[in-house]
Amino acid sequence: MNDTLKYAYYPGCSLHASAGEYDLSTRELFSALGISLTEVPDWFCCGATPAHNVDELLSLSLCAKNLELAEQVEGDLAVACASCFSRLKFTQHTLEENATKRKQVEKAIDAPVKLDGKVKHLLEILAKDLGLERLAASVSKPLAGLKVACYYGCLLTRPTDVPNLDCPEAPTIMERVVEASGAETVAWTHRLECCGANFTLSRPGVVLQLTNAILDSAKAAGADCIMVGCPLCHGNLDIRQKEIENVYSAEYNLPVFYLTQLVGLSVGLAPDQLGLNAMIVNPTPLLKEKGLL
Amino acid sequence: MSRIGVFICHCGENISRTVDVERVARDVGRLPGVAFSTDYKYMCSDPGQTLLKKTIQEQKLSHVVVAACSPRMHEKTFRKAVEAAGLNPFLCEMANIREHCSWVHENIEEATIKATEIVGMMVERVKKNRVLPTITVPVTKRSLVIGGGIAGIQAALDIADAGHEVVLVEREPSIGGHMAQLSETFPTLDCSQCIMTPKMVDVANHPKIKLYTYSEIELVEGYIGNFQVTIKKKARSVNEDTCTGCGVCMTKCPQKKIPNKFDQNIGMRTAIYIPFPQAVPNTPVIDRENCTKFKTGKCGVCQKVCGPGAVDFEQEDSLIVEPVGAIVVATGFDLYTIDEKPKGSPIKGYGEFGHGKIADVIDGMTFERLASASGPTGGKILRPSDGKEPKQIVFIQCIGSRAREKGISYCSKVCCMYTAKHTMLYHHKVHGGQAYVFFMDARTPGKSYDEFWRRAIEEEDAVYIRGMVSRLYQKGDKIVVMGSDIAVGVQVEIEADMVVLATAIQPQKGADLLAQKLGISYDKYNFYSEAHAKLRPVECATAGIYLAGACQGPKDIPETVSQASAAAAKVMTLFSKDQLEREPIVARVREAGCVGCFACKKVCAYGAVEEKEIRDRQGNLIKVVAYVNPGVCAGCGTCQATCPSKCVELDGYTDEQVIAMIEAL
Repeated sequence: MNDTLKYAYYPGCSLHASAGEYDLSTRELFSALGISLTEVPDWFCCGATPAHNVDELLSLSLCAKNLELAEQVEGDLAVACASCFSRLKFTQHTLEENATKRKQVEKAIDAPVKLDGKVKHLLEILAKDLGLERLAASVSKPLAGLKVACYYGCLLTRPTDVPNLDCPEAPTIMERVVEASGAETVAWTHRLECCGANFTLSRPGVVLQLTNAILDSAKAAGADCIMVGCPLCHGNLDIRQKEIENVYSAEYNLPVFYLTQLVGLSVGLAPDQLGLNAMIVNPTPLLKEKGLL
Repeated sequence: MSRIGVFICHCGENISRTVDVERVARDVGRLPGVAFSTDYKYMCSDPGQTLLKKTIQEQKLSHVVVAACSPRMHEKTFRKAVEAAGLNPFLCEMANIREHCSWVHENIEEATIKATEIVGMMVERVKKNRVLPTITVPVTKRSLVIGGGIAGIQAALDIADAGHEVVLVEREPSIGGHMAQLSETFPTLDCSQCIMTPKMVDVANHPKIKLYTYSEIELVEGYIGNFQVTIKKKARSVNEDTCTGCGVCMTKCPQKKIPNKFDQNIGMRTAIYIPFPQAVPNTPVIDRENCTKFKTGKCGVCQKVCGPGAVDFEQEDSLIVEPVGAIVVATGFDLYTIDEKPKGSPIKGYGEFGHGKIADVIDGMTFERLASASGPTGGKILRPSDGKEPKQIVFIQCIGSRAREKGISYCSKVCCMYTAKHTMLYHHKVHGGQAYVFFMDARTPGKSYDEFWRRAIEEEDAVYIRGMVSRLYQKGDKIVVMGSDIAVGVQVEIEADMVVLATAIQPQKGADLLAQKLGISYDKYNFYSEAHAKLRPVECATAGIYLAGACQGPKDIPETVSQASAAAAKVMTLFSKDQLEREPIVARVREAGCVGCFACKKVCAYGAVEEKEIRDRQGNLIKVVAYVNPGVCAGCGTCQATCPSKCVELDGYTDEQVIAMIEAL
């Protein structure tokens, strides 16, 4: 019997830099779950948010080339970053619908565009490919009593008909995954609002305002922590949290976990395997209080 | 030997510009069987038709070919002329040398050769044409009307007033439909019940109307002029003949907390109930699912207090067969619900509006019940959650409508106007309150309509914000509405006490199943399809069935009433003759060869194929063959193409005729 799940893995730039703990926890978690990840050889930046605002052909070509590289590895393409996921899915969607652009891209990358491979976010792999039942069966340390606010941000589910991860306006996939790990989830209002990621450097005032509304809403709903699947959202919610508290005279103290960190804890991985020490808002007091450390 | 006359039309210059019509006339004149051929500038004109008639008589023609435009355009014209000259109209054929030739070609030489060949084909075909007698069908001069809303009521009253019997069937315990639920109506703000209830009473009292409420259509058999309709009368548990409508049973019923569907479930009713005080008939019905007697066997209070002894727990559903000649379908609409839709449904819900979980987010119809003097709050606008008066109210238009990504691309047509009306009713009833409306466009074509919505803004203080809402959420006892104002280009947030969603109009649930029983077609949303979008808007493609109201597409009251009267007029036209005449282009079965496989019956979209027993003189059954009912057959020819033993022929389009055409090429 060979039911090992095998994927090509596209970490994306963030996971090799500011979101190193997302990369680490992804590899550790998947290894613990018996899911094989093989990094795409020679992968490079997908262009993320800047490229498609400047030059559509460049943006499509960067993604198309990465998709071509991924063909060398057996299995669907596993993507951790919500932005990479969005760009890769957009590229597939655009090139499937538009033959002219497809030709331009093929000329640019000097190779035929292949669109057969599936691009999957980690959530999809955990919830659908592995399945919630198998995930729940792997849990050795249920996250009992931990109240999690699942934060989707803009890109994971939208726009309609592109990512097709879940219902674009009322998704439940994050909640289902973390509930399988034994956590409680809270119903809150801002789980699909934008954190302002694109403006994090150019207009920090806007970002502070948007991110504050998200933190405020999560706190008001009684959450202990926030779970994300996007390095950009993570940056705003975690790194900027202290600054927001100062500007808005608020106190949140909400640790911001990557989904792989929380699920990783539930399957018994140690804090250093999950890079918990890299989190700015220290999760240790909370995890100790809940008896999870 | 045939004596065929061929008439080539110039169609002004439409044909003669690219076809040498004189040469065509000369060349086909030499074909065997052609006794006469000529060309003329306008064959369809009065002199053209006179030429045709005169020539038939002078030349003693046996068949006629008119080479001109498409038969869709003028076949009827020329067949009528031929008939006037004493020939059977089906001995006349048209050769289409305009749409099929002159309009699509430029080269005169080639177009002329092609035109000659087209005419030659029709000459060979017409030789095989047979005399076809006109078919007559008897007409039962009674009509069925399905649905007792304003559309069904209007159609029933019009037909009954013309002296014809009407069978009116309504699914709910009372007639009245959605219009009875409304508070005031645009653009005049007259009370809906005040203009509606007199018509409901007229229906109840009309000697020509037979009313079946709490009843549904079970089965429809037959064809135009001769339908047999089986109606299921659901057990009311109250005898309609003996009940006096005194209402004592309802006051004594101990089950008083059942959500009343008529009040959009915000008002309560008893288990034995009439949906609203002005119900017609004024006979209660027992809701068996919620009645203590039916659930536990104990209670029976209503029976004990009923003076005339009308309560009957033993009553059962009954089936009634009614013969009718015409059917008016007036099943109306339902409102889109904002909950998430089940998997597989092409229409998606609005999760971002709180899954319909926030109590003070209501739909337009619920607002109507709140604003109605006969509603659960006695006409006061109060929040369902805590009964407080909302001081800030937000109306959101186009919920479901014009949202391709949600599965509905059409405009629901009435929401702009009723939302404007809602803001006015709110302004009249809640002093010091403020109404906001999020809208994409205001669509107000109609008499005095635009003036009405301008009045909402200019005189009744409604604030209209052009832009849509992205999300609603509960914050304390407020509902935060996040939206955009695209006129100013800013994001707006309003803390509202109540939100009213103008949800899309959809066909009634089960509209598709009824359509299948009736054999009428419907679109992907289950709206019923008219025979022609412009020229036959109240008729179905299935003969003898007519449409009225929102079952065909979103409509307001005046439009619904107009269509209902139009449908009634169509029924009266049908009933104006004792016998129905129709074109004899119908399929015929050659019974000697038929093996009774009934492949034809399976493919017939009109239910025209029946099983017929062939017996010998002693009455012994020899075989069962297919029989095409000429009253029902639409002449589509599908059975002819399907029959494996080539035993079905379509009169006017026989294999022999078509083969003759091919061989002439």
